[in-house]
Amino acid sequence: MKETAAPPAPSSVRVRIVGRSPYVAIALAWLIPGLGHYYLGRRRTAAAFAVIVVLTFVAGLSFQGRLYSIEQGQPLTILATFAVWGAGLLNIAARLFTENPGGSILSVTYEYGCAYLLTAGLMNLLLILDAWDIATGRKR
Amino acid sequence: MTMLALVPTDHFLIMTLYALLVSAFFAILWREDGRERWKLFGILVAALVGGGLAVAWLMYPFPK
Repeated sequence: MKETAAPPAPSSVRVRIVGRSPYVAIALAWLIPGLGHYYLGRRRTAAAFAVIVVLTFVAGLSFQGRLYSIEQGQPLTILATFAVWGAGLLNIAARLFTENPGGSILSVTYEYGCAYLLTAGLMNLLLILDAWDIATGRKR
Repeated sequence: MTMLALVPTDHFLIMTLYALLVSAFFAILWREDGRERWKLFGILVAALVGGGLAVAWLMYPFPK
């Protein structure tokens, strides 16, 4: 008797979004929070993500947190720098246009500021992965 | 009045704002349905703020 392959379960079916490149989606997602989702047609979600990530980042700056850079003898700054650079253009603009990208360690809100800035970058990194999953059909 | 004067320095307020932002982010990221999103948002806010208060309470006997 001839065996036939079972049809794939509905949850395993990947449907790619036609005319939308996953690579463009993740590049846009890195540049501006939510832009990857906007490119993929999820406009309301994109707006919500943009507001949340930008608000978190701006709050971090206003709390005088630090935009980390890699320092010799401080291996954890590699991870922190990676996280902050996840915020894309926000991070670049902040480094260019703020008076003190290193933050103010004497400020009472310095530690909070650092946590907010790191969180904003990590959120955007998650959005990049999410945009990839949507663009490749792994997430509906 | 400078912008700096508008920045809160109250620890609880900053922690609560953080909890709201993080909870909103994950609720939108992990749930599709509006009702489910609000439910997860509530759970996450309660866990983050409640967890923060619980840890603060546990650390109270050890101020330094």
